Amino acid sequence: MAEQGGPAAQSKAVDESKVSAAELKKRAKADKQARRAAQKEQEGGPAEVAPATNGAHQEHLAQAQGVQQDQKGKVAHAKGLQQPKPSKQGGQEAKQDRGGPSQAQNIPLRSRAAPTAPSKELPKKDNTVVELLSHLYPIQRRPNLAGVSKDVHPAVLALGLQISTYEICGSSARCVAMLLAFKEAIQAYTTPRDTSLPRHLVSHHLSPQIDHLRSCRPLAESMGNAIRWLKKLIVELDPDKLEHEAKDFICEEIDRFVHERITVTDQAIAASARNQIRTGSVVLTYAKSAIVEKTVLQAHEQGTRFRVIVVDSRPLFEGKRLATSLMRAGLEVQYVPFSGLAHVVKDATLVLLGAHSMLSNGRLQSRVGTASIALQAHKADVPVIVCCESVKFSGKVALDSIVLNEIAPPEELLLSAVPEKPHTYPVGAATTAAVGKSAATGKDAPEDDEPAKLKTLHDWNSAANLRLLNPMYDITPAEYIRMVICEYGSVPPSSVPVVHRLANEGM
Amino acid sequence: MPSSVIGQTPSLTTFLKSLRQNDIENSIELFISLLKRRQIKNSRPCAIATTHLLLRVVAEPKRKWDAQKLIARVRHVGRRLIAAQPREMAVGNIVRRVLGVIREVAERDEDPLTDSEFSGSASPITGEFQRPALPTRFSEFSPLHGAAAMPHNMHSGRPGTADSTSMDFGSAPQRPALLSTNASYAGQGPPGTSLFSILQHPQGRSPMATPPPGTQSPVTGPSPSRKGTGGEIPEKLDIKAEVIDGIKELQDELDVVDNQIAESALDHIHSNEIILTHTSSQTVQKFLLTAARKRKFTLFHAEAYPNNHEATHATILNGAQGEDDSNERWKPLTSLGITVILIPDTAVFALMSRINKVILAPHAVLANGSLLAAAGASTIALAAKTHHVPVVVLSGVYKLSPVYPFDTDELIEYGDPSKVVPFEEAEFTDKVDIVNPLYDWVDCDLVDLYITNLGGQAPSYLYRIVADHYRVEDIDLNAKQEAMAKKG
Repeated sequence: MAEQGGPAAQSKAVDESKVSAAELKKRAKADKQARRAAQKEQEGGPAEVAPATNGAHQEHLAQAQGVQQDQKGKVAHAKGLQQPKPSKQGGQEAKQDRGGPSQAQNIPLRSRAAPTAPSKELPKKDNTVVELLSHLYPIQRRPNLAGVSKDVHPAVLALGLQISTYEICGSSARCVAMLLAFKEAIQAYTTPRDTSLPRHLVSHHLSPQIDHLRSCRPLAESMGNAIRWLKKLIVELDPDKLEHEAKDFICEEIDRFVHERITVTDQAIAASARNQIRTGSVVLTYAKSAIVEKTVLQAHEQGTRFRVIVVDSRPLFEGKRLATSLMRAGLEVQYVPFSGLAHVVKDATLVLLGAHSMLSNGRLQSRVGTASIALQAHKADVPVIVCCESVKFSGKVALDSIVLNEIAPPEELLLSAVPEKPHTYPVGAATTAAVGKSAATGKDAPEDDEPAKLKTLHDWNSAANLRLLNPMYDITPAEYIRMVICEYGSVPPSSVPVVHRLANEGM
Repeated sequence: MPSSVIGQTPSLTTFLKSLRQNDIENSIELFISLLKRRQIKNSRPCAIATTHLLLRVVAEPKRKWDAQKLIARVRHVGRRLIAAQPREMAVGNIVRRVLGVIREVAERDEDPLTDSEFSGSASPITGEFQRPALPTRFSEFSPLHGAAAMPHNMHSGRPGTADSTSMDFGSAPQRPALLSTNASYAGQGPPGTSLFSILQHPQGRSPMATPPPGTQSPVTGPSPSRKGTGGEIPEKLDIKAEVIDGIKELQDELDVVDNQIAESALDHIHSNEIILTHTSSQTVQKFLLTAARKRKFTLFHAEAYPNNHEATHATILNGAQGEDDSNERWKPLTSLGITVILIPDTAVFALMSRINKVILAPHAVLANGSLLAAAGASTIALAAKTHHVPVVVLSGVYKLSPVYPFDTDELIEYGDPSKVVPFEEAEFTDKVDIVNPLYDWVDCDLVDLYITNLGGQAPSYLYRIVADHYRVEDIDLNAKQEAMAKKG
């Protein structure tokens, strides 16, 4: 049965595993720990933390620093379904280097444990899936570096982490960051002897990078367009070019792409959009769009007197960052939670929205909640203007927000455990106070006055039929959008497929 | 203040406890400060507290009331309560209901038929005032009081109108024939009236004409004298006792309103429906629980951040745990096998294409069918309208206010901005204007159905329910009150 890997850690695992967990689960934990120990030896890793309390079922959106290696092992095993076989083989190979009798013992255990452990996990995973959107599961997030293919360049690894934790958020930002990381990866590339760069680079070097990024978070439309452009560029290279020349050429072209299609375009769009802001305007915007921010700041620098209403939403609170930056620039900002939308939209004279992508049927895909903003503005006869670079224009079509979307991990909806009720009256306080207390703090109120422990949202997994749904995007119908401003000019939403053909397919 | 209040958060329960000990003026002051400090919030606790308070006001010991004085007293107290928190419309609604009760009792007393034996069949007969003799449900004390005997009384009453043997209780049913002559804005006359009957009464008064003020009908002529002989004192005690009865019926109505609304749950929720709701309303939860016992459906629950999300989470996970205003405990919906999906408020439009029904609970319902609901409801209702999804609003009649929303902005109450951004972020809260409205006004054409404790109604019918429950002269409590006896 269980052998090495720390009997202490193992007994802990035994203590913590549920009563109903069979020996198979123990074995799965055992070989996880064995693998972890091997990885530690391999990487000379630092800290060692006790195994996590729960089973490996929940995907924790931990920060990079906070992630410990034991969780790596657990998450890696949890992602056993998603992981391609090679990574497991890679793990095995690595372990074989350590060698020893433990290897022989582990392999048969692992193969026995592997098919059954996932099946134990599957029912749990199904509990979190909202059937309506089952085509969007499993959720792609990779907050740590467990089980990553060895072909992935470190710059891309770092980028993946940043994207996964929303440090880099927003489709333009992600696109630029991705291209810059690819530049480094391409410079680090060497063509093997018997093939040429145009043929080999894309399929054998670039593809693992792209797959890794995709596993960290689904690719944005702008990223997709950029990748298509890049692949086309590489494939059409002259095979007789020297390798270093070809690589330099590719990097220059990437720089040019970023400059032309994002940097300069942003300036052009901002210059065009800021003319829409006049003295006395009240500009309403939602979440944080880089291009709307640029527009507003430029208009302010021009000297126009106007004020801005920023609508914000849970769980990302991007609008707060926008409001902070506008406030620091000296603008008059009003900050409203999403529930206050109906109240403030009457005061607005202009709505400026950013986009994740513009679809070919004229619809706007943007941060979830944008559709409601556009709807309320439309009802209040406030013009809605979308600022969108052509690199985000897409050939896809969608009729509703279910078709194309991205589901974020439900754990992001959990509120951090902040004690909110300042008054804690000692004697038999009213139930509302107790509910508030227990809703705020997590498990540390076992001696409540209430006979039964009240659950908080952190216990959502224990309620059998409860799901948490955290969509990231929604689709705004074209009739709510007055105008789309891109580098080709100001066009109505119906012209999106034309611009897309011009800009993204004609190259 | 009695010492029992110290050490507990002031709330509805503490207020109700203190009502027993305090004298009336202190209780009123306590309630006013609870309202001002928003320690009593939401329609139902305010309605319950107002009812109990007015009960005490009316039941003031050693105080003899006649109708006029009682009305003036209640109006005075009502004005103060409403001024304390004008946006808690439930307070005003209850005050007006109590005034309506008092007026009805008074009208019945002026009527010789004060006997309770006849309160059943004689209920429509309330004197020569403006109360329309409607064949529909008609309130004596409570709106549920039926008026079944009306039509056939009319017919039998026709020839006997001139009969002045009004002492005879047997001829009591004849009275409505004359009384219905008063015009009322509710419109229709008794069904027994026809042009032919006009020709039968050549006395010069058409059944439809309003009697000129000052005249005393032959029927009611004798009554003042009878009142006089009856003596003042028993009548005043009657008024007090009957008004107290009426207020108690009001309290009972408030207790059972959720159950009555939930009775129609099975009519409206069917299998495999996907329902959207919003905030932690107990009415909606009970409605859905009743349906969940027999039907399987899916519920999307929007969490109403930042004002109600904790309560919503608690309701979804724990059900009710016996809180302030009710001592009920009920299980959460998930324990009955219903899939509940918690979504942030922003996802409402995204999912609306799959939703079959939206169920909302209002804070207050206004006379034209529009409503005030928790912030976010306007967005939900608009999205539902766009996708042609029916919007159902569950509301007890106590939330129905006779006020017409001339300015919808002034009805919105603002909440604590620190719920949006905590005050610790000094730079932000200093320079940025943070707005946190608590309510949204939803227009009447966005609502498809109101389910009240009286059943389902279209928004266009609510004005009739308003007419049934409130008196015209009570709508503006600041108006000078005319003499009651001559009201017409």
